[in-house]
Amino acid sequence: MTAIWARHRPILLAYLGMLLLLAVTAVFSPGFLSESNLRSTLILAAFVGIVGLGQTMVIIGGGIDLSIPWVLNSAAILMALLCAGQDLPLVWVVPLVLAAGAGIGFLNGVGVAIFGVPPIVMTLATNVILQGLILVYTGGSPSPSAPAVIKFLAVGRIGPIPVIALIWLALAVLATILLSRTAFGRHLYALGTSATVAEFSGVPTRRTTILTYMMSGLTAAFAGILLPGYSGQAYLGMGDPYLFTSIAAVAIGGASILGGSGNYLGTIAGAMVLTILTGLLPALNLSSGALLVVYGIVILLTVSIGSDAVAGLWGSIFKNRNIRNPGE
Amino acid sequence: MTTAVTTRPGRFVALRGRLLNRMPFLVACLMLGLIVVIYGALQRGVFTFDELNLDTAAAMTLILAATGQTIVLIRGGIDLSIGGMISLGTVIAATRFGTDPAQVALWAGIILAVGFGVGAVNGLLISVLRLQPFLVTLATWSILNGVAMLILPTDGGSIPGWWVDFSYNTFLGLSNPVWMLIALILFWYWFRATRLGITIQATGSSEKSAFLSGVSVTRVNIVTYGLSGFFAAAAALYLTTQTSAGSPTIGKDYILPSVAAAVIGGVSLFGGRGHLLGTIVGAFILTLIGNLVFVLRVSSHWQPVLSGAILLIAVLAGSIAEKSARGQDQ
Repeated sequence: MTAIWARHRPILLAYLGMLLLLAVTAVFSPGFLSESNLRSTLILAAFVGIVGLGQTMVIIGGGIDLSIPWVLNSAAILMALLCAGQDLPLVWVVPLVLAAGAGIGFLNGVGVAIFGVPPIVMTLATNVILQGLILVYTGGSPSPSAPAVIKFLAVGRIGPIPVIALIWLALAVLATILLSRTAFGRHLYALGTSATVAEFSGVPTRRTTILTYMMSGLTAAFAGILLPGYSGQAYLGMGDPYLFTSIAAVAIGGASILGGSGNYLGTIAGAMVLTILTGLLPALNLSSGALLVVYGIVILLTVSIGSDAVAGLWGSIFKNRNIRNPGE
Repeated sequence: MTTAVTTRPGRFVALRGRLLNRMPFLVACLMLGLIVVIYGALQRGVFTFDELNLDTAAAMTLILAATGQTIVLIRGGIDLSIGGMISLGTVIAATRFGTDPAQVALWAGIILAVGFGVGAVNGLLISVLRLQPFLVTLATWSILNGVAMLILPTDGGSIPGWWVDFSYNTFLGLSNPVWMLIALILFWYWFRATRLGITIQATGSSEKSAFLSGVSVTRVNIVTYGLSGFFAAAAALYLTTQTSAGSPTIGKDYILPSVAAAVIGGVSLFGGRGHLLGTIVGAFILTLIGNLVFVLRVSSHWQPVLSGAILLIAVLAGSIAEKSARGQDQ
């Protein structure tokens, strides 16, 4: 028991926090636990979770992806414009847009892995370049409404369960298998722990890096294709909130921003925590300013609880000597 | 380091090393020169004091924000919370300034103190809890932004007219922002030679070596992030002269550009290397791209595309120079 606790402490804490939040919410706003409200919370969390999947991979590998907002936004606008509200073009539009997303990720990965550009700068540059190109392409005009199929995927449901939650579940299973059962997953953790050691141990570091950024581009583009189905149409700036939430979800989920640790189950809890908070605060009559304050405090609290400095404290409280204390 | 016995090839190698070291800065200067030449060729009256006054006034908010960011980057960190601090500074100013000069001075002082205090808390959290600067300042950005929205939910408030006039008033033909720029450069040459400046740079080069040489890393962090918060507050105060209002959301427009300006100017994200002159050149490049897009008569939407491309060119130049310099050492 203590061994499991020691190994997965940050992730278990994230889930504990999520349950606590649900309980608090249920007390303060009984309507929150209604079926329809839980469903809309799940839908919103799914978008954060899908975008957060790519971000999780990149962060485990020791990088960060700041290009997510406009990869997502570009995918949404391209999908809406190319389909013009029709379902049939989706057959070629979806593969095209996903490939474009992966292509942007490829550029990010090449910049980081081959040219040694710091991830923050590389992905920041692709983000602003994409933003400009989409502005030039659309001229700032709004796009047509989303095709019916996209609407179904984003807000429709099968029985009581939202379709997007099922998609999210499938992606979560895939990501977990990828991280824990494949060579790519092991390479990724090795790369994030120490790029130099990984390189000398024969890990294909460049290929692994490029692949993770491609996955991040892919998941951001996928979320971008679905998001107009939720909001009705694609608009400029719709991706901006996902920069903060994708990183926050990964951090709350217990992954170290330095890389080498964390997994996707943690990010799922992080996405749920952020979304439940968004739903809780209006129920408590708190403004969006207060929501931002609470967001910040939650991030600080969760990352401090997960930090090594506090781990030493936990260790001394529970007399658990398995926790390594890096305070040498 | 006895230069007297240096042979010709030795001198060449030394010169090459110095050039490689400064390559990102030189590339940035070259790009700025190119932008100014194109701009000057297409527009009348670019090479005048009036134009210098105007452009400096436009660039000054970014320059101030990026000054703090430069100090943090040289320390080897990053400060995303300046976005929240800039928003908070403008809304405090717009809601508390009134018109009485004494009251304005008092609140300006309070805003600067809040900036330093908030930054110091960032530094403390980073040191004591051993947390990543990126995450800590992401969280405090959110908190500060939220507080700003609680104080003033939408853009508004009022700024006294004489305070707004500050950026237009001139002295000896140069406007106040140009004098601020000169003061900032003088400050930098003084600061980087002080004990504190050297300590920050040393800690950024190698935290371990600095710690082993007796540097209190905690104290360095507190002062570094404190200065960043202070300059963000100064940027907020200056920004109110441009907008003559407070805005709870305006700060986020300066977070990533402040990093970009520093990186374009040759400040290393890995810490230990960088100079404020480079950052200032970077901030002018990012500001003048707007003018350039205007005189080229293309859609203003090209502005982000150009800034992104310039950022990439600058950082590639930096990494190529670093690789060549490393190859030379071996």
